[in-house]
Amino acid sequence: MGSSEFDATLGGDEHLPFSANSLKFAASRSIEIAAMTESILRPSKTKLIFQCLPVHMRRRVMSHNAKRLPIRHRVGHLEQLKKSGLPPKQKRPSRKYRRRPGNLLNEYTRRQRENVWLETHIWHAKRFHMIKRWRHSIAYAPCDKAFRACYRASSAHCLLQDISYHIPIRLTGTVDVIKEMFSKITNSGCGLGVCAKAYVDGKREGSVHLFKLNSYPFGYIGKATFIWHNDGSNKCLWLFIHPSQIEQIQSLLTDLLYNNTKESSNEIAEKRRKLMNNYSENIQMKLFPATYNRFRLTGPKSHAVLTHSLKCIQDLENIKNNKWMSDLNKSELYLNQKENYWQSIRSVSSPSQLPSKAVIGLVVKDPRLSRPKHRRKAVNYERDINVECLLNIPQFISTSPLWNTNIHDVIKKERLSNAKFIEHVTKTQLVPGEINEDDPALQSVPVVLVQRPGSQDSNFKKIGYGSGWDIILPPGYGLQFWQTFIMFGARSGGLRETESLAHEMGECYLPPDSDAGKEEEKRISEEMKEKYFRLPPSKRVNYVKLAVVSPFICPWKILLKDWSNDPVDGFYILRDKDLLSSLQDCIDQRKELPAIQNSSMCLIPVYLKMVNKGNLKRNALICLPEREDIQNVTSLFEPHHEDPNETLRKIKRKQHKVIIKKLKRKTSKLKKRRELGEINSSKTKIRTKSEPSEYVKSMRELWVPSDVKTVRRSCSRQIMGFLSQGAFSFSESLSCGVGYIAFNALDALLKTKQNQVLVRNTSSRKYRLANINIIKLP
Amino acid sequence: MADENIPQKKEEPKKKNNKRPNKNYAVKKRLPIRPVEGDNVIFITKKTNFKAQLDKCCDLLTKGEKEIILHGLGAAIQRCCNLALQLEILFSGTCQIEVNTGTVDLVDDLEPLTDDLDFGAQVRHSSSIHIRVFRTAMLGANQNL
Repeated sequence: MGSSEFDATLGGDEHLPFSANSLKFAASRSIEIAAMTESILRPSKTKLIFQCLPVHMRRRVMSHNAKRLPIRHRVGHLEQLKKSGLPPKQKRPSRKYRRRPGNLLNEYTRRQRENVWLETHIWHAKRFHMIKRWRHSIAYAPCDKAFRACYRASSAHCLLQDISYHIPIRLTGTVDVIKEMFSKITNSGCGLGVCAKAYVDGKREGSVHLFKLNSYPFGYIGKATFIWHNDGSNKCLWLFIHPSQIEQIQSLLTDLLYNNTKESSNEIAEKRRKLMNNYSENIQMKLFPATYNRFRLTGPKSHAVLTHSLKCIQDLENIKNNKWMSDLNKSELYLNQKENYWQSIRSVSSPSQLPSKAVIGLVVKDPRLSRPKHRRKAVNYERDINVECLLNIPQFISTSPLWNTNIHDVIKKERLSNAKFIEHVTKTQLVPGEINEDDPALQSVPVVLVQRPGSQDSNFKKIGYGSGWDIILPPGYGLQFWQTFIMFGARSGGLRETESLAHEMGECYLPPDSDAGKEEEKRISEEMKEKYFRLPPSKRVNYVKLAVVSPFICPWKILLKDWSNDPVDGFYILRDKDLLSSLQDCIDQRKELPAIQNSSMCLIPVYLKMVNKGNLKRNALICLPEREDIQNVTSLFEPHHEDPNETLRKIKRKQHKVIIKKLKRKTSKLKKRRELGEINSSKTKIRTKSEPSEYVKSMRELWVPSDVKTVRRSCSRQIMGFLSQGAFSFSESLSCGVGYIAFNALDALLKTKQNQVLVRNTSSRKYRLANINIIKLP
Repeated sequence: MADENIPQKKEEPKKKNNKRPNKNYAVKKRLPIRPVEGDNVIFITKKTNFKAQLDKCCDLLTKGEKEIILHGLGAAIQRCCNLALQLEILFSGTCQIEVNTGTVDLVDDLEPLTDDLDFGAQVRHSSSIHIRVFRTAMLGANQNL
């Protein structure tokens, strides 16, 4: 029994020390401690994280839903899941959850981060194909394919488009300084300048071609419309810029404003230097993206739509309490004059009867008050009209508080939402269905109308085609006005209608000498190429056999090089109005062209109309007719050409087939062995759809060779130019197109005393005859 | 193609019309003011096919329209007269015409070609014709209907 004792004092055989050395104590146990900490940090157990949790923290289906784990474990859990090959699947939240207003709004703001949404986006998204372009989400075409209906609306009724994606820029400063600044980026030959007397008083909207700094005629950027506004002592210039050009123009203007000190040191004239140095002090530039709503109404009935939906405010008393009025000088509103003028032009049957490009500022009642119960057709008011009121734009009619950006926030804040509006109306109305139009609870809205004259030359297009109104609205009121216009008989269109209207009007839509135009050309050529190579080989047009060198994109530089024998760096489109009209006379009278500067780099914009049959398409070739061609045009075909690549393609395909067969055999062998378990099943690579393989690329090269060296003499007739846009034109009841031809080619044509050209589509051998007209408003 | 920028040569014979008062302006036409529109009102143009407009008139008359009104302006007056006379022949005896003439004020925009000028407008006058074609007997119409 005594042997069981341990300590010597109790009878055991072990003598304990009187003191313990803590260092020694710890050191002898250090290995143990290390092993313990190691096992805590890296458990050798093959348990997953959620399995290690204490029982009271465990939840159902923890492994599937990471959110049931405590937050600190989630990352590790997901790591583990990835290792085990189970992709962490997140269930899509239920529709009911997604549709809760707050969640829906969150989702919408998330989607708006990359591409800006217009105010009418949701209305459009329900009815239109939406595309993402120029960093905006833009309605392209209505889902009901109403192509012809939209044309009819633009020519006989009213077509409504949301063009709020145009970005306003405000320049504040004195007229002289702005004029000086714009003299470097515009040219007087292209038409009236920014500071022309016709525009400075703000009664009319102008448009101007912008070029890169001091580089006219090269370096074209785009066309901008502008409106002047008197802002007390200073003048404001509001530029409206297409989003495809906004970056270029913004950087150009900021360069002009802030980085001009280097340049000015070289200037000799003292006065000029003074002016230039003062740019940044005298001119303030500010962008207002997504501020104004701008709707475009086209067609004769657009005036009727507007007169029905815009009800002017006659009495200042009625709107005195509107919050946005509080900071304004109320004597400058001229409500009576505006109301009178708007009434006097009420019965006009088409906007093209009014002064061209007139700007009218109105203060109108909330558009929801005047909606009809059902959608109806636009009808003109029938009353005799006094010619006097059509002649001039009365004074003060163009002023508008809308340009004062301080009131925008107030207007947006004070706006009654649709729900509130309905609630208010149902509460206050005495007779059901009747709405009090002078309701003080709804604030008035300042708007600006801008007339567009449309065609004013009866020889080119029927007078008044394309005429209409642009309406500029404060933020927040886009949808309200939009719906009212729709109810009064406007038909909505999208970007496709903008393109087709430009085609019908014979305008250059995004001309190819601007960056925006080049980008657009590239995008379309990529699309066409993809579409072409998606076809099976037997259905593809063999462009080599048709002698079409570049079927997807127009090689302008090569064309100009061929016609001038000099290397060409850049090119430009002729925009000088006097020159263009003199060229038109030369074509009419079949006389030789005058000599111009930079003729080897110059493209002439032309509008082509077919003489007989034929349908023009994009990228069609404009060719120089030979002597007898005009008489024999019915039997004029491009002769068949040999395709040297055909045999190459066949050989290549055969070789490729052999390789594929080999590979197939290999893979099937591998598969079998894997099934037997000889090889560890390695993870299969997921091939992403990205670059086409080398073989596909080389085959494509054999179908359409991309290295184009010469185009002029690539087919039996010399190529003068290309069509950049072509389709059947409803307004001409003919196939028409907009194209560009080299200046030297036009010269060569007129030397042969002809004024018609041959056109051939890229997919056809048939040459057809077409008349050419110079486009005078490129 | 005549346009705003016609050189002087072409302009000279037309100078009497006072189409272009000044070299500094380009004349841009506006749409003329229209009389009351309706289903039975037809505006005769030079561009539209003559036969097509004749057929349209015939259709309207045979479908039971009691009267149709034809408007012609300027150079289209002759066409308008022709059309009305053709109708009279086609509907021999059952149709009569009544002619009114008038003057229409046309407004032109004067667009400045230089920076130091403002927009302007001018009024031109053009003769117009308004022909009322009405049925005296509805024989054909009754049969067709």
